[in-house]
Parts: sequence; structure tokens; C-alpha cells
Amino acid sequence: MTSDSELARFDLVERLVHWSTAIMMLTLIATGAILYLPALALRVGHRSLVENIHVITGLCLLGPLLLGLAGPWRRRLLGDLRRLDRWWASDFDWFKAGTRRSGLPRDKFNGGQKIEASFLGAAMVAALVTGVIMRYAPSSWITWATGATLVHDALFFAIVIAVIAHIAFALSKPEQLISMFHGRISRSWAKAHAQAWLSEVEATRGELPTSTAPEAELSGPGVRSAP
Amino acid sequence: MAEESLQESPVSPGAKPVHVGRRTVLGILGLAGIGIVAGKKIDDALGGVSSAVSSAIGVPLPGDDDFRYYTVTNGYPVVPADTYELTVDGMIRQPLRLSLADLRSMKRTSLVHNFQCVTGWVVPDVHWEGVRLSDVLARAGVTSEATALRFFSADGVYTESLTLAQAQLPDILVADKMLGSNVTTDHGGPVRLYVAPMYGYKSIKWLNRIEVTNSVVDGYWEDEGYPADAWIGGSAPVSVVP
Repeated sequence: MTSDSELARFDLVERLVHWSTAIMMLTLIATGAILYLPALALRVGHRSLVENIHVITGLCLLGPLLLGLAGPWRRRLLGDLRRLDRWWASDFDWFKAGTRRSGLPRDKFNGGQKIEASFLGAAMVAALVTGVIMRYAPSSWITWATGATLVHDALFFAIVIAVIAHIAFALSKPEQLISMFHGRISRSWAKAHAQAWLSEVEATRGELPTSTAPEAELSGPGVRSAP
Repeated sequence: MAEESLQESPVSPGAKPVHVGRRTVLGILGLAGIGIVAGKKIDDALGGVSSAVSSAIGVPLPGDDDFRYYTVTNGYPVVPADTYELTVDGMIRQPLRLSLADLRSMKRTSLVHNFQCVTGWVVPDVHWEGVRLSDVLARAGVTSEATALRFFSADGVYTESLTLAQAQLPDILVADKMLGSNVTTDHGGPVRLYVAPMYGYKSIKWLNRIEVTNSVVDGYWEDEGYPADAWIGGSAPVSVVP
């Protein structure tokens, strides 16, 4: 049965939120770099056009996420946000080097993914607030605008680093990357990288844990993270 | 119960999660808040160090004391210094065409003052030198019905405005020198305006024409929503000339 070999990892709402936010993030980074880096600013010019694209995109950045959470279709998205908030021993464990990891069964997301998501979520909000101050604050707020500019500029570097890391990890793990397109991931991936999640999924489906597979399979060659 | 709302540990029954995610979010937002409120002081303190690293690596860093370079057209105009002319026309007795040599033969004024952008970035203690705008206007002879000025840039797009009263302030220069040498092309050379008491967008770059009029016409950035009376801090001018 194909349903045994693939699990639903991201639903349509989550994928739409991810990709629309991703497109806006890349637009913001590109236009932000043009506004910020002198070499690009002078080469591209058209400052107010670039500024308007940057500002409008920035104002819309949280739109997909908020829309995704605005109705009954939010169930899986909200569930995954809760997962990203909650850290278990296996998440702290993830930051240890390979052989020092305990091999505790993992959640749907690992510690690295959780810290990345928390950072980017907070950075988006902070960039929005500081950006609004820079663009719309009355001119008597100039002291705060200077502070907002400092924070916004620092966020530019931090966000670029986080997004490069995110894309690099995604490209190095094609199965996870592709699952953000069609939403599914193989049971063998879950067995190797998200054992706790797999158990949960099977428990809620009322299924037996992984048919009659021998116990040894759980620590077999597929389980790269095992000690 | 939905799988997403399980409180139980996916690792071992009975374990409680640590809410690292929301702590991370709140921590970053708290730092950002401190940065907004105290950022001006941090920016001032960082200035020297940040600028030194910025110029060493060729990338502007947060809190440095360097200019950001603005241009609103495709690239920017390159105006040769030897053929440069500043036209002063409109409601005046005698239309003027001033070459760079003409400007340099007039009474010179220099001052040291910040360049403050309305979005927040600031370059402290910039050296500026040129001719007072009020001296240029006096030479042209403004007629009695005139009340305002329009400034034009060689880029063909950027315009600015001042009232005639504002233009009498002593710390508004038609500047051909800044940072200790001729105004470079990327800074708006050979001649730009420097309006010390107002935000940077009033200091029009590649200045090539001043029209004396009887009404304030919004300039480029005013059309984008920024105020025409761009006093730094939002109110009354404080002269910076010693």
C-alpha cells in the first residue's frame, strides 16, 4: 500500500504559506541589498521604486502566515508552530556532534530546524516593526529611527545568513526539500530522522507500530543518527 | 486528540517540553526593542569601530559612520567640473549662470555638521564648504513677489524645494566641497545643496538649476510622502554656524 510508504508532512496551507513567504523574503533580501549596499545602490539606482517594492513586500510579509492561521484550515500549521516551540531532550541532543548524540527518537523537526524557525519568525516581526519606524515614523522620532535603522541593518545580515543556511540544508537534503512541494515524505525517512513523530502518526491512525518489522530495523543502516 | 496537540513527549512519556521557541522569539524581539530605544547611543558608540571594519571589508556595517548612496534614476549623472554651470532663473532681476570658478570666487563658507537621513542613518561631523545659498540669491536679486525656490538636479528627475525664508538660513550651502575635497560624483558633485537643519533628502545632489518662484512646489521625495518642511527633529531650526 502506498499510504504505508509515505506520510503527510506538510498540508497545502503550510506549503502555500512557506512558498509565498519564501518569495517575499527573497524579494526583500534582493531589494534590501540594493538599498543598503552602495555598489548596488549606485548601479541599480531607481531608489524610490526599489524602496516602494521593499516596503510594500515587507508590509505583506506576515500576510500568508496570518491568513494560514485565520480559519479552520490552520490545524496542521498551528500544530507545527507548536512543535517548533517545544523542545525535547532529543532537540538539545541534535546540537551535539554525531557520535556524542544519544540517538533519542526525534520529533518532526530537529533542534536546528526549530531554532531556525524561531529566529526567522522573530526576525520577520522585528524587521517589520523597525522598517515601519524607518519609513512611517513622524520626523520627531529621529532618535528611534536611528535605533530602528541599526536593528534593521543588523537583521539584514542575520537574515541573509539564516536564509543561506536554510537553503543550503534544503539543497543537501533533497527528500525534505521535495516534501515542501508535494507535502509527503517517506516512512523510511521518518524512521531514520523523526522516529517520535512516526510513532505519533501511527498511534493517532490506530495502526500498529510499523507492521511486523523486526526491532533491529529501528537501529539499522537507515538510522544514520543512531550512536 | 489531534496529533499536533499532543502534550506528551515524543521521546518519553511524562517528560515536559521546554518552550525554547517562544523564548527565542521573545528574546530577539526584546533585543530589537532595546536596539530601537537605545540604538542612537549604541550607534554613536559603535561609529569608529564599525566604520573601520566597514572600510576594511568594503561592506557597510550596522552603526558605521558612512554615507548610504541614493540615486533615483538609472545610475547617476556624471557632470564634468570644467563645463559645469549653475543656472539661477525665475523671479530674479538678473539671470545667473555660475561656473565652478564663479562659485569659488564668491564668499566661501565652511561648516562641520551631521548628514542626517530621515530613515535614521547619520554621518556625524561632515565637513562642508561652498557658497551660502542666501549669497547666491542676493547676487541674482530676488524680486519682491518671490516666496519660494525650486531646485533641479542634472539627473532630470530629482527636484527639491525651500521657502525663501528658509533659504536665508546661514547654514544652507551651495556646496562644491565636502569631506575635505571636491564633492565626488556619487555624492552629487560637482555641486550639491547642503541644508544643515533639514533631513538629507533636501540636500539635492547634482544641483544644476535654482528657479525662484512664488509657490512651493513639492519635490521628488515630497511626492513620495516626505514632508517639505523637513526640519531635523520635526521643529524649528538651530543654526550650526559658529
